[in-house]
Amino acid sequence: MNINLLSWRFLRRDWRTGELHLLVLALLIAVAATTAIGFFTDRLQRAMLHQSAELLGADIVLQSPRPLDGALLAEARRRGLPETEVLEFPSVVLHGESVQLSSIRAVEPGYPLRGTLRTATTPEGEATETRDLPEVGEAWVEARLLPLLQAQVGDTFTLGHQVLRISRLLAFAPGGSGNFASLSPAILIRRTDAERAGVLSAGSRVTHSAQFAGETAALADFKRWLAPHLTPGVQLRDVHEGRPAVGTALDRTERYLGLASLATVLLAGVAVAMGARRYSERHFDVSAMLRCLGASQRELVGLYLRQLLLIGLLGSALGVALGYVAHLGLLLLLRNLLLETLPPPGPWPALLGFFTGLLMLAGFALPPVLRLRQVPALRVLRRELLPLPLRAWLVYGAALAAMSLLLWRYTGNPALTLTVLSGTLAALVVFGGLAWALLRGSRVLVRGVGASWRFGLQTLLRHPTLAIGQILAFGTVFMAMALVALLRGDLLATWQSQLPAAAPNHFVINVLPDEVRPFDAFLREHHIQGAALFPMVRGRLAAVNGVPVDKRPDYNGDETTRRELNLTWSSALPQDNALVAGRWWTPRDSGQPGVSVEEGLATRLGIALGDTLTFDFGGSEPLTVTATSLRKVQWDSFKPNFFMIFPPGVIERYPATYITSFYLPPTERTLMAQLVHRFPAATVIDLAPLMDQVRQILAQVTLAVEYVLVGVLLAGFAVLHAALQSSLDERLYEGALLRTLGASRRQLRAGHLAEYALLGLLAGLFAAASAEFIAWLLYTRVFHLPSHFQWPLWLLLPPAGALLVGAAGFWGTRRVVDHSPLVVLRGL
Amino acid sequence: MKIQEGSPIITAQGVGKQVMMPGGTLTILEDISFSVAAGERVAIVGASGSGKSTLIGLLAGLDLPSAGHITLAGEDLAALDEDGRARLRGRTVGFVFQTFQLLPGLTALENVMLPLELAGVPEAEPQAAELLRRVDLASRAHHYPRQLSGGEQQRVAIARAFAASPAVLFADEPTGNLDTHTGDKIADLIFEFNQASGTTLILVTHDEHVAARCGRRLHLDAGHLTRDEH
Repeated sequence: MNINLLSWRFLRRDWRTGELHLLVLALLIAVAATTAIGFFTDRLQRAMLHQSAELLGADIVLQSPRPLDGALLAEARRRGLPETEVLEFPSVVLHGESVQLSSIRAVEPGYPLRGTLRTATTPEGEATETRDLPEVGEAWVEARLLPLLQAQVGDTFTLGHQVLRISRLLAFAPGGSGNFASLSPAILIRRTDAERAGVLSAGSRVTHSAQFAGETAALADFKRWLAPHLTPGVQLRDVHEGRPAVGTALDRTERYLGLASLATVLLAGVAVAMGARRYSERHFDVSAMLRCLGASQRELVGLYLRQLLLIGLLGSALGVALGYVAHLGLLLLLRNLLLETLPPPGPWPALLGFFTGLLMLAGFALPPVLRLRQVPALRVLRRELLPLPLRAWLVYGAALAAMSLLLWRYTGNPALTLTVLSGTLAALVVFGGLAWALLRGSRVLVRGVGASWRFGLQTLLRHPTLAIGQILAFGTVFMAMALVALLRGDLLATWQSQLPAAAPNHFVINVLPDEVRPFDAFLREHHIQGAALFPMVRGRLAAVNGVPVDKRPDYNGDETTRRELNLTWSSALPQDNALVAGRWWTPRDSGQPGVSVEEGLATRLGIALGDTLTFDFGGSEPLTVTATSLRKVQWDSFKPNFFMIFPPGVIERYPATYITSFYLPPTERTLMAQLVHRFPAATVIDLAPLMDQVRQILAQVTLAVEYVLVGVLLAGFAVLHAALQSSLDERLYEGALLRTLGASRRQLRAGHLAEYALLGLLAGLFAAASAEFIAWLLYTRVFHLPSHFQWPLWLLLPPAGALLVGAAGFWGTRRVVDHSPLVVLRGL
Repeated sequence: MKIQEGSPIITAQGVGKQVMMPGGTLTILEDISFSVAAGERVAIVGASGSGKSTLIGLLAGLDLPSAGHITLAGEDLAALDEDGRARLRGRTVGFVFQTFQLLPGLTALENVMLPLELAGVPEAEPQAAELLRRVDLASRAHHYPRQLSGGEQQRVAIARAFAASPAVLFADEPTGNLDTHTGDKIADLIFEFNQASGTTLILVTHDEHVAARCGRRLHLDAGHLTRDEH
């Protein structure tokens, strides 16, 4: 027989009669949802990376205290990657009598590779984007430099041997090192001028950076090439690592979207499995008849496999198209909030969606369809004969293999995949047992309840394995939906707390010791919320355990050892700091030679608890202290943070200034003028532009997360529908039979309601238990968020489950009483 | 497949069937031996539970006996695997069932086309349409089984059974679900097709009237062949 032709005919007939609708619907949901999320996140991620790159000024930045190997730049040029070199160094500039330490950035044409410079022509004028660079002999300076130098736009100042004219005011320059240790005002000049100024002597503290941009794949390739070519002391930064605040947000979003895709895949997997089970069961008779008419097992398998392949190819292709349209709709909804130009859609989400469809069918639909091979021909005479049940390892093995592959592919994160898979499996096993016990236990209860509940419960008890399967399926759906919703809430809360509306947007340094009280009073008088005022002593870490830091075997030119650090003392552990080793001081430690070291720096410099650190305070006697604790510091908190904190009474004898940060609403800018006027020595740094950019990124991320959640919820409801449909045949048949035996419509309806509500209640319990468990795993292992008992899960899920499944089942089974039993019995 | 008239097309030798039940072994058939010549019309009669349907299932190769041997069209069924028996059924055997067993998702025409399609016959549709015309259902060709009456469904089943020109037709209580009048018409149709194609007919029936129209009657009683009446 011509199996290809026959498969096609069978497929057409099955489609026409509606046998395939459920399976195809499930497949469409799966592919469309994953493709839509795929397209959306792919484009959004690329856009966000692009925007983060604007903050960094490039996609990849190499930084080194020494000139970078020319071979690195040559290799980038060979690969066609745009590159540019930037020099940054502190230097003193002169204007008349005024002297000011400034941060010089020397750039060459091509800078910035990403992002745009913003400049203004007057201190009051609005900053506009520009593609220009300062001409040779010109400088663009930060507005706050003007009063410090007592200069105006158009004036000239001196840098080394070079005289430069202030031609514009610099409002934003991509790729600032974001290092608040060098808080002097920034000056942007051409590299030629820096070289002519003669300030770049061998001993000067220049940071050389090479910046690169390009396509993602080319960059990844280049990064791989770079890794073995980097000499010690060269730091590589990219958008993921460059900016802690943005980096963490991006990283978490990617993981979240990964999880959302994964939940959709899980949901769709459940739907496909149910659709395939129903398809298989409704083909027992056909298969028996085909066997009876002479079809061999091989022909039967060939027939169904071809049909499945056709369903997979057509369904996946259609799903990809639907997913593409859905993502366009999503972008349309967000058009005012997203970046003006998103990168064009790439081919990967489409391909991924397509293969997801095929793989999902292979994992979830193949086993039940292969079961049709086992249908005995004798079933034509004895209809009660069923094919052998599938071997458990085949069903679960195939599903598990497909799931693992998909999850791994979607998240690209083995930890997340393993966490969700093992959590789900453990929950399935444990709760499968629990559900079985509960159902068994409820046999006793049946006697004590009303007729409708008894009827509903008995229906469940008659097919305990089916009931457990449904509880687990509904439960998995609820769990996936709850997890995605839960994480969304906590992620958003974490971001908001990280960058609350009133996060400090101004830093103040150089507050003199005798101005501390008046300054504090000024803030309080004007109701300005700020962090505490921390004393700040400048000192350099000179030696560890008596060995000069640049002579230590693991010395890699770390920047922190080459410049003066801001040291402070405090009796209390600052907020946003967490002790990770050692102990914090007690009052008895005051005056004792101890120091608390930031964890990351300790790791980089190989400092352990108990090591002695020697600090050099420029001329004064060096100070040697013991590292007594290590701290974790939240660098992106926009509050003063310190690498080294001493106990009170140790470094007070060195000259100190004070530092703080506070939030000033944009409407109260006049206060700033008053503040500057009252405390002329203090330097105020406006962080608002940088924070606005970070906020914009977080806002987009938040939106993406919200919409993805809606998508997952929709997929979940569709699965619910599919699951109900897949068990409907049997209910319809039983209902029709009961009606012919005299059951009233009311009895039947109440019975169905009871049955489905009970199913939903148990599924809700399962979902709460498993979501609690997996959330705990995810929070502690993957997202590194504080985990807590999720009591709303337990309060909400069981009643919501009972309500949802009860209502859906009640609605779905209305045919049982709306149609005549004869029609139902004959129509099956 | 054509077997020369008069030579045995089915032989059963010491056939027995037992099934394992939770309460012990249940014997359904025991030591049944007979042979059927090509072109013969044989009725298997007996009370409910006497093993008639089991016997017809064994003779058609839908199941294997626990004891004894059955040959169908010269092939020892026990020597064939399940796929081998399926192939043998495909080219030798047609079925008509008490419950009609039309596939609900296929139209009347498609149900009749099925065995032709399975056999790879290129002109399945016109042949099936012709068969439907012969059972007087040309106008219902595109109706689904649930849109047909019981008698009409059985006529479609008969058209399907004869579609692949089988050497043997097994009919399991073909009139059992129909009223007397419709049953008579169905029986007429089966005998008419049987006459025209020279098919061997093995028919399980309760209906003495139908049984009487067969040249030979095998009487089953509690799993034993009690009488072979020519």
